[in-house]
Amino acid sequence: MSDDSADRGPTRSVQPPRLVSAASHLAGSATRVGRIARWELTKSAGTIDRKTILLVLAVVAVAGVVGLSVADEGLGLEDEIYVVGVDEDDPYHDVASESEQFRPIALSMVDDDGGDVNADVILTRDGEIYVAGEHGEAAYDAFRDAIDDYNEQRMADEADEAAAYPVLVTVNYQERTLADVADGAATPDGGAADASSDDGAGAETPGQDADSDDGIDTGGDGVTGEQDAVASDGDSSEPLQVPDVGDGAVTEQTTPTSPGALEPPFPFEALVLAFLFIVPMNFVIQAYGSTIMDERIKRRGELLLVSPASSPEIVAGKTLPYLLGLAAVTVVIARAIGGGGQSIAAAVPIALAFLAATFVGAMFARSFKELTFVTVTISVVLTTYTFVPAIFTDVTPIALISPLTLIVMDLQNESAQIGEFLFSTGPFYLGAAVCFLVGIGVYREEDMFSQKPIPAKIVDAITSQIDTISSRVHAYASPFVLSMLAIPFVFAAQLLAVALLFVVPEAIALPVMFVLAAAIEEFAKSVHVYAGYARSRFDASLRVAAVLGVFSGAGFFLAEKFTHAVQLVGLPDLTVGAAAFGPALSSEPLVFLAIFFAPLVLHVVTAVVGSLGASRGRHAYAVAFVIATLVHALYNLGVIALVA
Amino acid sequence: MSRDADEQTADTRETAVQRGPNPPAPTDGSDDLGSRSVWHARWALVRRELRSLRSEKTILLAIAIQLFIAAFSSFLVVGLVSMYDPGSVEGYQTEVAITGDDTDALLAAANEQEGLRAITYDDPADAYDDFESGSSHVTAVLDANRDDDGRLVVRTTLPEEGLETTLLVVQLRETLEAVEHDERVANDDRLEATPLEIPPAVEASPYVGFTYTILVPLLLFLPAFISGSIVVDSVIEERERGTLELLRVAPLSFVDVVDAKLVATTALAPIQAVAWLALLAANGTEIGNSAALLVLVTALSLLVVAIGSGVALYAPDRRQAQLLYSIAIVAALVVATLLPEHPANTVAKFAIDNPTETTWLLLALYVLCGALALAVLRRGITALEPESL
Repeated sequence: MSDDSADRGPTRSVQPPRLVSAASHLAGSATRVGRIARWELTKSAGTIDRKTILLVLAVVAVAGVVGLSVADEGLGLEDEIYVVGVDEDDPYHDVASESEQFRPIALSMVDDDGGDVNADVILTRDGEIYVAGEHGEAAYDAFRDAIDDYNEQRMADEADEAAAYPVLVTVNYQERTLADVADGAATPDGGAADASSDDGAGAETPGQDADSDDGIDTGGDGVTGEQDAVASDGDSSEPLQVPDVGDGAVTEQTTPTSPGALEPPFPFEALVLAFLFIVPMNFVIQAYGSTIMDERIKRRGELLLVSPASSPEIVAGKTLPYLLGLAAVTVVIARAIGGGGQSIAAAVPIALAFLAATFVGAMFARSFKELTFVTVTISVVLTTYTFVPAIFTDVTPIALISPLTLIVMDLQNESAQIGEFLFSTGPFYLGAAVCFLVGIGVYREEDMFSQKPIPAKIVDAITSQIDTISSRVHAYASPFVLSMLAIPFVFAAQLLAVALLFVVPEAIALPVMFVLAAAIEEFAKSVHVYAGYARSRFDASLRVAAVLGVFSGAGFFLAEKFTHAVQLVGLPDLTVGAAAFGPALSSEPLVFLAIFFAPLVLHVVTAVVGSLGASRGRHAYAVAFVIATLVHALYNLGVIALVA
Repeated sequence: MSRDADEQTADTRETAVQRGPNPPAPTDGSDDLGSRSVWHARWALVRRELRSLRSEKTILLAIAIQLFIAAFSSFLVVGLVSMYDPGSVEGYQTEVAITGDDTDALLAAANEQEGLRAITYDDPADAYDDFESGSSHVTAVLDANRDDDGRLVVRTTLPEEGLETTLLVVQLRETLEAVEHDERVANDDRLEATPLEIPPAVEASPYVGFTYTILVPLLLFLPAFISGSIVVDSVIEERERGTLELLRVAPLSFVDVVDAKLVATTALAPIQAVAWLALLAANGTEIGNSAALLVLVTALSLLVVAIGSGVALYAPDRRQAQLLYSIAIVAALVVATLLPEHPANTVAKFAIDNPTETTWLLLALYVLCGALALAVLRRGITALEPESL
């Protein structure tokens, strides 16, 4: 991939006809990759201590037995966190003693010396309820829920069902717009799901007969109900996929339930099962990070580096066993929980992204300690990044930014269209490829075995990409290409920023978000130009800096517009995707052009600012970066103000 | 390129000198190793450990991770709560059509419900037409009829429109539950147990439970687990790079060396815990028994770090050490459910200021466990041949 690899490869020295040369080059490459992969396997298998395995198995067994035995009761995190002052003959006493969250104490034990009461809720003999202390209101609120649960429990034991459950509900979801229907979205799952949900998913007949009369599920047997729902999801797959005809088609839940069993359309079950795919990845990247880092300790990787294998081959060989292992685990999980090819195809890019991020982390980390935190960061960020959007699988097509959504859909027996599939997995493949490229760029002696600060290594890694592009195409092509490649990371970073700022009060969050979003984009457009200047790859003249900036801005603009187009094609029923083109609906061609190309002008201008700064050294770059960010943020504000 | 490379190596050399293997504490030229100089040496080791964390900015990353986890779980909870508790979304109003032969009870309950406005239709067909066309803003149709048993059968038709529908389902559930409650009370004569009356709602933060039972325990336990992970890496790295060998020329026993690591990493946890508690307090979350909580964190941190050091000295390489350590921690958290209170529950009770006798007893138990683990570790190290590492 990089030039040194070609130099080192022995196949270059002989000069047979071109095609044969390419084929033999490929074959040699494959052999070397295979051999390194085999070494990696035998080395790992060889060093694993038998005692360690036994110990791990023993610990897992103990935890498993204990975990299963207490699974019904849960962790008991909320046990007795509130105190209720209530006498034993009070009808509400049983509520408190049956609920886990409350600890009842007799009224005589309640003592309020100096305003510090030792109970949160107090029920007096004359039927009054008082709240006390800092958490009184919250405790009172929880107590209301507890009364509700208590009542439900009593009703479940009643003989006269018609009297105990006087209200029956059926729900059907009806598409009102003309857009195509995401079917099966209406199956209520989760804790209170009852056995009826299997009919619910299955009955997609237009027109309904809600007055069916079978008994209601009391919600008491939630666990079995869930299992039923999963099992039926698994085996009643084909009939569901009949597309709805026309508008007014209905997805309904026919069996009447009591109101308490109503659940919003939320794919709880499938979500939990989909999470299973992510769990092994978090463990595998620990081992993978270790093996990459191991090469860098005591110059152990030197031996492979001087071998005929090029650095991409070494990395491929070292990665392959882990990727194949994860793929195998994925297949096993998919078989176990009833996922199909779609689940596997969606899990593999996630695995690849985990490995790629860990690879870069292990190339940059300076010690095991640092590596641990890098891998934990990767685990946390990637897990949340894949998991959180999947929660909204049935709510909005934007959920498809995570391939986990495809798995959730698959587990609910919905199949994704090819456009949705590409939209979902494409960025992960692209992101993983970029990470591997960056890491391979520094998979060489001067970076692997030295203790450079991380920023210097990042600059090195980017510079090696600039070199590759410059040698293949032209020096000016590198800012163009690198800006484009940054797009998936820009989107991911902006999404994370939005999610993190969610908890901050809006008055602070909005301006911060404006600046942050602009800063992320400006950073992506200028950091590679800075790297090139820092390693003297570009001429520091005004003209060159301006040209680099123009290319960088144009590349970013193109990639951004391309992503919007992909969104529009891949997710036609997504209104937000259309909103990106919103003002372009104007019929005036001039206005259309102006609105379409305004971002281009913006990106080019700010990129030129950044690039001019970069050509003048580190401090000038910092100043230019701030200016570019501010210009960008102001532009964004202006656009928002115009549209609003 | 070459100029840059030179600069780079120069940089590297400089930093390497700064934080390379640091022979601790010159012995002041005196030959006898007085207790003062041993303490000095120990302190130097502690500082060396902390310095390496600081120079790599590991600790910053650790704190960033914790902030991220805390912020993200809060984000999730706030998001899910507002999804399931439409009342928390202000000024949100939806209109539903009510039709059928028995609408009175439903109508009354729906108009009680915050954010709902009910419109009665005499003819169900009109209601469905309005729903289909989206005119007069009807977003749901409730068709309520009595069946032969005298039950109220409500046929609801909802739009398949994502988030809005989710909110609507929750609102309708509350409405229908209110109707159900009234009907049950009316059925009193046919029931063995009369449903207890539910007192009127009050304004209460829906996040209190989450804050005390999830967030606070999370923020207090994470530093301890991170400390354990740091000590595993620190010991393994010294073993693999061979710097542990170098440390043995110091006027310290091997136990002292591990002790120093132990002290440095254990101390990190309560310091972070103080910061988190202060941050929570600044955000208006009142934390009770903070002294008890700090003791708890320190004890757990000592326990975890001792386990981590033991694992790192026992396991042959980092992969296996980290695997053993993380599995041990997860297993410990699972096995802890056998205790009368889960450690997280203990934290919650202290923080919310409702500790019981069991809570205090468990605190004493954790302190004991921490001390015991330390003693066992020290005995184990004394028995260990340093050459075997």
